[in-house]
Amino acid sequence: MANTANVLAETRSLTRRFGGLIAVSGLSIDIRKGEILGLIGPNGAGKSTTFNLISGFCKPSSGSLFFDGEDMTGKSPVTISRGGLVRTFQHGSLMRSMTVRDNILIGAIGALKGSRRNERLTRVNETAAILGLTPYLDEVAANLPHGIQRLVSIAIAFAPRPRLLCLDEPLTGLNQTEVGTTLEVFSRIRRDFDCTILLVEHNMKAVMKICDRIVVLHHGQMLATGTPQEVRENESVVSAYLGKRHGA
Amino acid sequence: MQTALQLIVTALQIGSIYILFSLGLTLIFGVMKIVNFAHGQFFTLSALLVAALVPWFAAHGYGVTLAYLFAAGIGVVTSVLLGMLIYQFGFRFFQRDLAGSFILSTGLVLLLEGAFLHYFGGAVRTVPPLVSGNVNIFGVNLTSQRLLLGLVAIMATGAMYWVLSATRFGKAMRAVSIDHEAAMLQGIPYKRLAFQGFAVATFLGAVAGALLAPISVITPVLGSDYLVKGFIAVIIGGLGSVPGAIIGSLFIAMIESIGGFYFDPSVANLAIFVLVMVVLLVKPNGLLGSR
Amino acid sequence: MIRNKHVAMTLTVIALAAVSLFVRDAYSSNLVTWMAIAALTATSLRFVSLIGELNFATAAFYGLGAYGAGTAVTLLNLPFAVALLAGGVVALLVSAVFGYITLKTKGPYFLLIGFAFTEVMRILYTRSDWLGGNSGMVGIFPPSFFGAYFSTFAVLLCGAFIVLLYTIERSDLGKVFMAIRDNDNVVLSVGIDVHLMKVACFCIGSFVAGIAGALHGFANNVISPGDFGFLLSTFALAYMKVGGEDSPYGPITGAVLLVGLGSLAMRMGAGEHVFYGAAIVLAVLLMPKGIVGLAGVAASLGKARKSGKAGNAPQLRTKEGRSHG
Repeated sequence: MANTANVLAETRSLTRRFGGLIAVSGLSIDIRKGEILGLIGPNGAGKSTTFNLISGFCKPSSGSLFFDGEDMTGKSPVTISRGGLVRTFQHGSLMRSMTVRDNILIGAIGALKGSRRNERLTRVNETAAILGLTPYLDEVAANLPHGIQRLVSIAIAFAPRPRLLCLDEPLTGLNQTEVGTTLEVFSRIRRDFDCTILLVEHNMKAVMKICDRIVVLHHGQMLATGTPQEVRENESVVSAYLGKRHGA
Repeated sequence: MQTALQLIVTALQIGSIYILFSLGLTLIFGVMKIVNFAHGQFFTLSALLVAALVPWFAAHGYGVTLAYLFAAGIGVVTSVLLGMLIYQFGFRFFQRDLAGSFILSTGLVLLLEGAFLHYFGGAVRTVPPLVSGNVNIFGVNLTSQRLLLGLVAIMATGAMYWVLSATRFGKAMRAVSIDHEAAMLQGIPYKRLAFQGFAVATFLGAVAGALLAPISVITPVLGSDYLVKGFIAVIIGGLGSVPGAIIGSLFIAMIESIGGFYFDPSVANLAIFVLVMVVLLVKPNGLLGSR
Repeated sequence: MIRNKHVAMTLTVIALAAVSLFVRDAYSSNLVTWMAIAALTATSLRFVSLIGELNFATAAFYGLGAYGAGTAVTLLNLPFAVALLAGGVVALLVSAVFGYITLKTKGPYFLLIGFAFTEVMRILYTRSDWLGGNSGMVGIFPPSFFGAYFSTFAVLLCGAFIVLLYTIERSDLGKVFMAIRDNDNVVLSVGIDVHLMKVACFCIGSFVAGIAGALHGFANNVISPGDFGFLLSTFALAYMKVGGEDSPYGPITGAVLLVGLGSLAMRMGAGEHVFYGAAIVLAVLLMPKGIVGLAGVAASLGKARKSGKAGNAPQLRTKEGRSHG
């Protein structure tokens, strides 16, 4: 059981219905400070909906959401982002028509509104350096390879230095090397910037490697939760999901 | 009670034109995801041709009814041909590009209105009605022509419903309207469908124009007047929704009927606008529009 | 780099103003004034397109500016500069309310409601006897010291606002606007109040449209409701599209060209509407990037091409496609 002082965000019986369809049902999970939490499950399990609920892009039908002790249920995406929770999107989570620098700048502006231009530019350069994007700063995002674009979307989300970074399938379409470097970036972000990470991913090998804990969703409900080891050995998980494929 | 009935009947009359208009607009948007500002021009052309040809046929010895039928036939066919031309050389390239198609259509409005003014002259015309005389329903007086118009609107609406739900063409149109890419993957001939959808919409507009000719004064800018209302009906109802277009049209017609009776037309127009704002505040995509 | 572009634009404005000094006859001088006003209106339209919306209510705010300035001068006897500003401020205030409500909608809905609003404003003017009703307002004169140089003043004023809008466009605020056009969900996700930003962009554009309308009042000396219908928005759209919407010089080019050619067409007796209509249709079908766009392509054909640095500017928020995010 988690120590409440440790909990950065939690959902309590979060439910979301779309007409007759129950996308997420009675979801109660907690996200602990400084951890990398993985959210896995087959397609249609409710991962995207959960993301949307946590980040305010979708209002719950019932249940509640707390971030850093504060009730964030039903709050707007802007309020929640300003509270320190930033998420990426599964597809095209960047501004394709703008340069990498301008993309990251948008993220910086989100956090550093009242500041001077120099501070924002410094933040952009620092963020780019962490993500290894410095050589691409002047390129238009649409012209860059898919793997770099993924990094840009993470950079945008990280530029405001969120306390909880929610990444929606950040590794899709990346090759082995790129996955490796990205995972290293996650470690660095968590370690050096006091950042907690929530990760939705299909790449099982990566999930098992980088996550401290994993939550398994199935049909909109939590099927299991625990360390990668625990989840891997959990029978219901194995039969429902893991048994079919061994990621990456 | 009598007044209420009269107002409702007036609303239904006004509404029937708006329905025919907005059905076309919403159909085009649903299938092609474009806003055709020039839709009113097909309506106008048909009405103008009817207004010009009926006297001509009559003068050549045809009875009013026959003259009207010939003129209406020519009017509708010409309008539809114009529509096909415009589609083939214009809108076909702008599907799903709302800004481009809209801008193109505004250019067409200017061009066509100018052409109509030139060829038909700015003079106002009237046409003898197809069916004359009055009819009395529940104590409310109604010209037979207007009744005919209302009946045609009802038939058109019913036909649209049936086509959309029962025929393959209709189902394909709905599929395309909901998710164009998925529809393409299913092998639905999207381009042909767009063409057909545009043709049907144009046909509806042209028929409305031909029917309106005997009731209203026909000027070359007639289309634009109905255009505003037609678009508002479609916004209220939700772009792409057939029931929405009907509800929107009836709403507007009701307000016009009541507003025109107790106040005057411009107050009615103001009220309509306020209604639109309120609807959009609550439902940014119209009452029945997709989210 | 940024400073160079600003300098270039400011110099262009000054050069155009200088040219206008040499235009002496009344007709041409008046034409120059109209070109300046048209350029400003089209630029205002283009500015709002930064957030990806086609602002068909431009005519409404232009009209508010005209009536605002007209009222200030004829009914309140306020001085010229105050009246001019008043026109802009009236437009600004109304646009704030209108924009706050309607920018919750997008694309075709926002477009059509702007269209409806324009028509309603026109009706309101007609019904307002204190504004002159259907006959409109007369006696809106600029101060006499302008003399024949009003056109130069118009060019300088409109030019100044165009440069101002350009400055905003290139600033971080402008980047936020363009990011909203590209992917508003991402902008939301980093804590930027997208709705407020859209309203801000809209208000700035509408304020400028109000100034243009105020100038219209002084240039024409009389205004009436019919001047401010949706046709005006359509013309602004034509200027922008024919000139090219990607470049800030596009609206200026389109305005100068179309107003100039339009007046020629009128003198030759041809219908003005047919002319504009044909211009729009041809431009949309044959030159989607406008004249400035064509010039840009011609220029780049001359140089060696950099890999794929084609214009990736996203369309107005009206193109259907895969939903972002």
